[in-house]
Amino acid sequence: MNHYPILAIMAYFLCAFLIVVFGKNRAVRNILGFIGTAAPLCLLIMLAEPVLFNGAIISYWMGNRAPVGGYAIGIALEVDALGLFFGLLIATAVFVAMIYSFSYMSHDDNEPQYYTLFLMLCGGVMGLVLSGDLFNMFIMVEILTFAAVALTAFRNKVFGALEAAFKYLVVGCIGSTCILAGTIMLYAQAHTLNFAQLAAFLPGNLNTATIIAYALLFIGFCTKAFLVPFHPLAADAHGAAPAPVSVLISGVLTKSGLYGIIRLTYILFRTMGLGTVQFWLVFLGSVSMFLCVTMALAQHDFKRLLAFHSISQIGYVLTAAGLATALGVSSGLYHAMNHTLFKGLLFLCAGAVLHETGTTDLGKLGGLSKKMPVTTVLFLIGAFSISGIPPFNGFASKWLIYQATYQKAVESGNIGFLLVTVVCLVTSTLTLASFVKVTQSVFFGQLPKEYENVKEVPFGMRLGMGILAFLCIVTGLFPGLVQRFLTGPASNAVFHANSYIDAMMGFGYAEKFGLADTLPVSFESVGVWSPISWLCLLLIMLFAITIVALTSKRDRISAADKKAQAANAVSGPSFLDGAPAANKYELFFGGEESTYSQVGGDDLFWGFKHNWRHYFSFMHDLHSGIVNDYSLWAVVALALAMLYAMIIL
Amino acid sequence: MILLNYIASFFLIVLGLYCIVVKYDLMKTVIGLSIMDYGVNLLIITVGFNPGGTAPIYSFGELRPESFFVDPIPQALTLTSIVIGACVTAMSLSLVIKLKEMYGTTDTHEIRRLRG
Amino acid sequence: MTVFLDALRYLAYILIFPGFIFCFLTGMLLCGIDRKLVARMQKRVGPPILQPFYDFFKLFGKETIVPAQANRTVFLLAPLVGLAAQVVLQLFIPVFSFSAFSGVADIIVVLYLLLIPALSVILGAASSGSPYAGVGLSREMVTILAVELPLVLVLLAVAKTVGNAMGTGLCFSLSRIVEYQVANGSLITKLSMLPAVAAMLLIIPGETGSHPFDAAEAETEICEGMLAEYSGAPLAVYKLSHSVKLLTMTSLFTALFLGGACRWVEKLLLGIYPAMAAGIAIVVEIIILFLICAVLVAVCVSLIHAVTARLRIEQLFKYYWTVVTGLAAVSVVLAWYGL
Repeated sequence: MNHYPILAIMAYFLCAFLIVVFGKNRAVRNILGFIGTAAPLCLLIMLAEPVLFNGAIISYWMGNRAPVGGYAIGIALEVDALGLFFGLLIATAVFVAMIYSFSYMSHDDNEPQYYTLFLMLCGGVMGLVLSGDLFNMFIMVEILTFAAVALTAFRNKVFGALEAAFKYLVVGCIGSTCILAGTIMLYAQAHTLNFAQLAAFLPGNLNTATIIAYALLFIGFCTKAFLVPFHPLAADAHGAAPAPVSVLISGVLTKSGLYGIIRLTYILFRTMGLGTVQFWLVFLGSVSMFLCVTMALAQHDFKRLLAFHSISQIGYVLTAAGLATALGVSSGLYHAMNHTLFKGLLFLCAGAVLHETGTTDLGKLGGLSKKMPVTTVLFLIGAFSISGIPPFNGFASKWLIYQATYQKAVESGNIGFLLVTVVCLVTSTLTLASFVKVTQSVFFGQLPKEYENVKEVPFGMRLGMGILAFLCIVTGLFPGLVQRFLTGPASNAVFHANSYIDAMMGFGYAEKFGLADTLPVSFESVGVWSPISWLCLLLIMLFAITIVALTSKRDRISAADKKAQAANAVSGPSFLDGAPAANKYELFFGGEESTYSQVGGDDLFWGFKHNWRHYFSFMHDLHSGIVNDYSLWAVVALALAMLYAMIIL
Repeated sequence: MILLNYIASFFLIVLGLYCIVVKYDLMKTVIGLSIMDYGVNLLIITVGFNPGGTAPIYSFGELRPESFFVDPIPQALTLTSIVIGACVTAMSLSLVIKLKEMYGTTDTHEIRRLRG
Repeated sequence: MTVFLDALRYLAYILIFPGFIFCFLTGMLLCGIDRKLVARMQKRVGPPILQPFYDFFKLFGKETIVPAQANRTVFLLAPLVGLAAQVVLQLFIPVFSFSAFSGVADIIVVLYLLLIPALSVILGAASSGSPYAGVGLSREMVTILAVELPLVLVLLAVAKTVGNAMGTGLCFSLSRIVEYQVANGSLITKLSMLPAVAAMLLIIPGETGSHPFDAAEAETEICEGMLAEYSGAPLAVYKLSHSVKLLTMTSLFTALFLGGACRWVEKLLLGIYPAMAAGIAIVVEIIILFLICAVLVAVCVSLIHAVTARLRIEQLFKYYWTVVTGLAAVSVVLAWYGL
């Protein structure tokens, strides 16, 4: 069992290299890809029982170099509930994206390279999440950044792909450099890179250098999570990358950044004065949440819009996780999980639309629901989930987040947190608005002539989307079970740094440093919500209403239909001279033929945008697309973070 | 002496950032990235430096309590970091070539089709 | 046996009171009262109060036309889901001390359940493919956005006030909010709640899409917007849904601010008929609820309808995010400092 984590990481990398060698053959390549993603998922699921349910912490020392004399020399892997929680998320998302890729990428050239990079990216993220060593983490960050950049530029003929990749590379490298600099500053102070040893050493030895190291690492992980000053990169990259890669970037890569932030704040720097850091995290999260959702409202490209929403949801996670309460962290993790599921689903749906129609421009699409019914239903599930419509999973987690923020407001007596609750609630409605826009402009409305021959996507792609949709519904319907078996243990691990240290460095190590655990972990939610009962009620009601509706009109309508058809058959061709009217209802009352008259996605929320026009035009100018500007934002964010860190110490 | 190293490394990092932010040419951006990288490498080496220490090359049995050497871990880290830096440069240069082919320029103000 | 009886009881809740049949009768009656009152205020004779019932059954007898552009399934299913969600929502709103399903949803959930009927109208409209519906749904969505912010603030203010009084900090459970009021008097008597009451009175016409805030259904300019393509039975279901929404919003208001209203009536009754009162309490409560709802409809739907002209959508948005939100925010701040 101790070998499972390393095997999970190695499976990705091994299959990546095997595909380089044997990947010319399509069948071999697909089998390798399938094994490479399915094996880690199985391994991690087997770890779930001891780690998540029984609370064990698995440590693995590479080359069996265990700590000597209280000093961790070797490179360690550690799997606690937090790491495994993220690991499971990642493995699931990656597995689904791989299944989807088999059909989706079959028309591209350079397929072997795609799968290699894909698996490298997965391996990088998995390595980062399971790593117990700061420098190891940096290397994994670099691997995943590289793979992500290469995958962004993979379809280099696509509009903007190269440009997006370059911007991502530049700002991503600034972030990675920050992580490296932070790592080395910590090393200079503590002379160790091992998490557990750092977690034991740092609480008693905080000084300016370590605090600045925190700021550097924090900004580094922010670039990986695409939090606010870095959000344009995500938008650019998602627009250009193939859909399964978008799933990886939004569902998996951002999680690595979040994992880093949570690990740093709650395990390594847990005595830094959580009150002040918490303000910082919540502020950043709220700003990301609101700013990105308004940016999304102004978009007219399907995938770009989804990308902004992705960051908005990450804002929710950071806000909740930054609250430093048990309910907050657990609801944040819950939302992180849901984000992976519904965002993956939505990106795959966008990919399905692109696959069939060749465009993601909201202005050009329309009426696809008649041609792609399955995709439409799956998209609606995803859209309802992300907008927090009960009983889907987005609602369950957002509902906990509202409670967590409001409870925090009441407990701390700080009215600012109340504002956060309001921002969360309003952002959720804005999300709904922009998904109404997508639904109206892509799947409903009128079907343009050129998409008359569009078909439903192949089975492989529907399977991938279906798995995620199923998980979206299940995690929404059983919030109690999710909290008990997944997010509960994970948030428990967040607040129990001591057992983590002991598991790695030998029992009693934490006590030597005189460390006490930060917070007792117990929470009760003030609200009540049982999705199953609601769903039962709704179904009974729907059944009753349907019966009432059907019994009263069934015969009449079919008779009317028949009559109408008969009338058409008789009078159809001669209804108007020269106009072959197949159905009289296709004609407006004036007798003119119905033409394509879709309400454009851009104009849809005029009433809202008009009031905010100054804000929107300001934001549009701000996101200039110049790489220098984005780097400047990164530098400013870094400077602010360091200043803030120095002030709070 | 060691202070000078720290100052130089931070100067290099800041110089690299300055170059990335201010210079409107893709090639110069890539150069900026490299300079920043060198700054960090210098920082790593400086952190592990012990004045008067020897090179940390010992075989089994040679290591004694009184032997005094520089910290070997940062040196290993630097090697890794240099390799990664080289990869960054290679990757970004290949992107610059492709960008030049497609956009016909390397001016960052022209390469902004994705915005808003 | 008890299980069977329980099931029967819950089925009665769902189908009769406070579920489907109650909603149907009361909602339609409120709608009729509204139409009659508006007509009288405008010096018209107006339709009979039972006109909505006649309309409903008339529409059921009409042909249902599904546009060629439409997605048939969504087009026909959306009204049904909307109505079901609306009625189920009504089950969660307590009628004074009586609550059918108190352990299922709290006020945040109610806030979101309010979205589902609106969303189903939007989806139905979108699936019809009509450009009028497109314009209508965009305006409906902006209306939802506009109303959401003040509504959130009102709910948070109530949660905080009741939480303060109960010593738990905050209280999200609707049935406990009502229980508190039944025991300690209505929230409307509190100074800090008055701005919230005013805001809520302005939210009701916005949520139900009645007159100055009905840009989404402006029949004179965009042919009833989202309902443009609907006819026959689905249209009847939508009309019913809309009437039930009147009931839901007004009874939500009652639950939030007037929960103690039944107390003095019951005291009075107990004084007069001590023996009978216990048995007829629930009947009396229902009658009180209906009267309150009717008065609320008269004040904030009919009266405002009669004296104002329709706002443009951006004016509507601005109005809600400045005036109404301001009122609600004042209330939140007052509640925060325990006034």
